[in-house]
Amino acid sequence: MGVYLDYQSSKPVDQRVIDVMLPYFSKQFGNPSSLHSIGDEATEALERSRQQIAAFINAEKDEIIFTSGATESSNLGIIGYAMRNKDKGDHLIIAEIEHISIHNIAKYLVKNGFTISKIPVDQYGRVSISKIVERITDKTILISIGYANNEIGTIQPMSHIGALCREKNIAFHSDAVAAEGLLPLDVKKDNIDLLTLSSNDLYGPKGVGVLYVRKDMRLNPLIIGGGQERGLRSGTEDIPCIVGMAKAAEIMQKEMNGEVKRFTVYRDTLINNILESIPRSHLNGHPTERLPNNAHFRFDGIEGESLLISLKDKGISVSTGSACSSKTLEPSHTLIALGLLHEEAHGSLELTCGRFTKQHDIDAVLKVLPGVVERLRELSPLYR
Amino acid sequence: MKSTQYSEKVLDHFRNPRNVGTLEGIDVAVGRVGNPVCGDLMEFYVKIKDDRIEDIKFKTFGCGSAIATASMITELAKGKTIEQALKITRQDVADELDGLPPIKMHCSNLAADALKDAIKNYQKRQKTESATQATVNTGAKKEIVGEQGFLNKGVFHAVDDFSIFKDKRIIVVDRGDKSVEIALSLTKYTPRVVFVTHLKESTAPKDLEKRLRASNVKVLYESELLEIKGVNEVEQIHIHDLNEDEEYDLFIDAVIILS
Repeated sequence: MGVYLDYQSSKPVDQRVIDVMLPYFSKQFGNPSSLHSIGDEATEALERSRQQIAAFINAEKDEIIFTSGATESSNLGIIGYAMRNKDKGDHLIIAEIEHISIHNIAKYLVKNGFTISKIPVDQYGRVSISKIVERITDKTILISIGYANNEIGTIQPMSHIGALCREKNIAFHSDAVAAEGLLPLDVKKDNIDLLTLSSNDLYGPKGVGVLYVRKDMRLNPLIIGGGQERGLRSGTEDIPCIVGMAKAAEIMQKEMNGEVKRFTVYRDTLINNILESIPRSHLNGHPTERLPNNAHFRFDGIEGESLLISLKDKGISVSTGSACSSKTLEPSHTLIALGLLHEEAHGSLELTCGRFTKQHDIDAVLKVLPGVVERLRELSPLYR
Repeated sequence: MKSTQYSEKVLDHFRNPRNVGTLEGIDVAVGRVGNPVCGDLMEFYVKIKDDRIEDIKFKTFGCGSAIATASMITELAKGKTIEQALKITRQDVADELDGLPPIKMHCSNLAADALKDAIKNYQKRQKTESATQATVNTGAKKEIVGEQGFLNKGVFHAVDDFSIFKDKRIIVVDRGDKSVEIALSLTKYTPRVVFVTHLKESTAPKDLEKRLRASNVKVLYESELLEIKGVNEVEQIHIHDLNEDEEYDLFIDAVIILS
């Protein structure tokens, strides 16, 4: 498969996860709502999985709601809370660098009569508490800030934001998809009320995720039906996927410390070498408060999609924030929020390592990248 | 279809672009076209003799299809008469490349426009051989919206203490040599200093251009600051790019306008 340094976009499912999932497709195929023994087996698997996920984020078992993935979790957490609590207020706060799904949820809420404030970030992508405080009104019911940014890897001051929300009696939602498996998550310590998790980011199957809902949070469901998941998420539970996600979390809990140490070395090798060997290259994101697996650069005078295709030709799979590789042709809103100009945002390169990354993958990138950048700069009217 | 799903021909021209470079001389005309939305930029250099394109070179900042279309049109245009070259359409370029992903058809398929621009510049010059210098838009000093309201809340008319700008994103408005000095000094305190000036890159004083280029200062030529925005302090500015006649926002923490 060549060199894969795009773990942020997608991760392979761990073989150990696949092994525990398989029996639930054909042998233990029961529906947890059935009262016979095949159904009981499914219930047991479901509740055991719920417990494993709860342990992973220091939550209680009853606070875990299984969904179809992170996007649904954030929809349920934010829209479900806003709709249920609109008598308390109609104002929500998000950060400028939230994942695009959160921005679009906010847009939907604006169409439905809510107002949204967006918090600008500093040049490294961090939100400041004072800028949140400035935007809080007596109508503010929810603040949603991603635990860490999916593109540039900047980590937010979660416990400070959580403490502020608790003090002001405002619900605190966080999309933890970029952070899970890389940072220890503790919803109690950080005073998080609603937390979005995906399964694939733990090397589990796609198509399943979790919304953590703190005990006294009240939400409206978005999917109405047979009343599964405490009525918050109807539909027969996808037991194979749920079991897979729980196994992935269990493995992650055991192996995360060692993995993170390894990733940090890879990340720092990439950052130090690239900044040194390529002139007019810059690191995007925070120099220290960043995910251990994330190295994000921009190179003056070149455009990301052509960089991506050039690396693809050399068997290297990476990501870019360039508009030309997106569906909308807009440059990454995250990079714009850092204060970058469009032409700067176009020249970005994101490298994210993961469980199966080896030193030779890092070496391969370091070997070819300077030449690729140089060639594209020779073509560029912007680099003189 | 994915936006990067390119034909073999596109990939070939991307990997081995033909006629990359620039041309110089009195018989060379330059065409420059950019799409502000997508961010692609193309420059074409054409050498015309007896109404025929004798030589053609290009430079491109942009995605794979931007590079490939530019490369392809140099092959199509070389040796053609001006009249023939002006007839080359975007569709012709795309067809020669065995097609482009639909989303790229309007955005990165600028080569035909850039070639036309170069030829038009050549024809214009033929007509007015005296070559009147392009007028530099010096931009009458307009009032900057928000300048007074954010004074000392991110807007500064003088700089006494550089340390307050540590790690901030700063924009310095061109007010002559002193403002250049300040921009350069600030680079010791923060990685992000932007300098905005009405001047054209090509007509700016050589010394100024050289010093700024050697530094980390990001220069916005032919641009003006229109508005300063924020909740309680400066958070964002609105810039007018006079060359492209395009307006955009930029996140920033401090604005220095020497009085």
